[in-house]
Amino acid sequence: MMDSRLTLSELQLVIRDSLYLSLPDFYWVVAEISEIKQNYSGHCYLELIEKQEDDLSIKARIKAVIWASRYNFIKSFFENSTGESLREGFKVLVKARIEYHELYGLSLVINDIDPSYTIGEMAVKRQMIIKQLEQEGVFGMNRELELPVVPQRIAIVSSRNAAGYTDFINHLTCNSFRYVFYTALFDAVMQGTETEQSIISALDRIALKSEMFDLVVIIRGGGSQTDLSWFDNYNIAFHVTQFPLPVITGIGHDKDLSVTDMVACKSLKTPTAVADFIIESVAEMENHLFEISSDIREIAQEIIETFRERVERASNTIIPLTKIMLSDSDKILTDLTLGLSKSGMDKIFKAGIITANRLSRINSSALSLIARKANITESLKKDLASRTSDLTRRINQMLLNLENRMDILSPDNVLKRGYTITSVNGRIIKSATEPMENDVLDTMFSDGNVQSIVKKGKQIKTE
Amino acid sequence: MTKKEFSFNDAILRIEEILKNIESGELDVDKLSEEVRRASELIKQCQKKLRTTEDEINSIFKEMS
Repeated sequence: MMDSRLTLSELQLVIRDSLYLSLPDFYWVVAEISEIKQNYSGHCYLELIEKQEDDLSIKARIKAVIWASRYNFIKSFFENSTGESLREGFKVLVKARIEYHELYGLSLVINDIDPSYTIGEMAVKRQMIIKQLEQEGVFGMNRELELPVVPQRIAIVSSRNAAGYTDFINHLTCNSFRYVFYTALFDAVMQGTETEQSIISALDRIALKSEMFDLVVIIRGGGSQTDLSWFDNYNIAFHVTQFPLPVITGIGHDKDLSVTDMVACKSLKTPTAVADFIIESVAEMENHLFEISSDIREIAQEIIETFRERVERASNTIIPLTKIMLSDSDKILTDLTLGLSKSGMDKIFKAGIITANRLSRINSSALSLIARKANITESLKKDLASRTSDLTRRINQMLLNLENRMDILSPDNVLKRGYTITSVNGRIIKSATEPMENDVLDTMFSDGNVQSIVKKGKQIKTE
Repeated sequence: MTKKEFSFNDAILRIEEILKNIESGELDVDKLSEEVRRASELIKQCQKKLRTTEDEINSIFKEMS
């Protein structure tokens, strides 16, 4: 019995030998990476697990290693194929053999990883998230929001130190249109296990002040880091769908879209592309304004032109009409004057009695004629007013001249100057041959009449 | 603090409405010049908004970052 006792190391050797005997080959094993880190010497140490399908509790666990000599090759092949770096949470298909070490126990030594399995797994996971969002009826909610006409106030979810953030800010502020943009950064971790919690917290902070912003951008620099799968995340995507403002993503991946990209109102490849898009939307709006303003100017110009033509036509009618009116008035006055001058003394006498009436009649009818003409068009009032006042002045002047002339001609004034008017039987006589002997002459002085008898006709020569 | 005294949306809608009014040809000349004046004022306001930094918004945004 005593001889059958083994030392610990002997036992371990037996275990190792039997393991190697029964599991001599490399095996393709499906597992999920729960931990992964590379140490200073370049070896990669992992923990692989398998989860229960229903409650996701861990049903198997094992340590694994990829020696530095293989790791560089596996790593770059995986990254080139998937666009992702090997990380926690990924399901992988690894080629591994069993190793047993007296000190460190059981582990897997991985000498290959098949990236196509992970790609398929990611696609499946993405599809599941999309399906879930669709079933909840939220998938298109952010995409249905209208992009603002002028996105000028922008909330940025990004990392302060990310190259993409700086690019975005530079691009936006140095735009050639000299548009002003207001930006506020809500700092977040853009990759790694903290991504989900960090982005959601940034979105929540923005949501509290959503009325301050026109839109939200989620941006991240391209560079060598292209891990898109952090954004194939149900919780981030769900928050984006529920966000009250339009979300634009620029998370730097040119091959694939993450679920977050798919649910965002607009998704572009790079932060710079997002900045361009924003600048262009503003420019488009401004261009629209230019078009409208030139349309307005053109149409208003046409209307004014039409109106000007109407005014011109009206004034072309009015001016000759006014001229005719003027010359008519002139004629009336001239006729009147001529008539008066031509009349004999008796007509002058009669005229003297009616002139005042006639004058005022002419005066008022001329004025009313002018006033009627003046009413023809409101718009020409000013023009006409000056013409009519001119006309009125001329007419008034003529009337005044006429009046003066008629004053001189008035019999009263003639008598006052020492002349007399003589009549026989009420008929004014203008010649010495007219009165007969014994005719009674009626001589009118300015202050009264004298009757006298003609002693001798004809011979009497007046002095 | 966040008074919305000017909205691009409203301004553009109003300008488009003015254009429609003018296009209809039903405005008299007095109304026309008033509308044109209003439109050009709104356009001027929009352009000013696009290119003039408002210190108030700027400082609020800086605080948030």
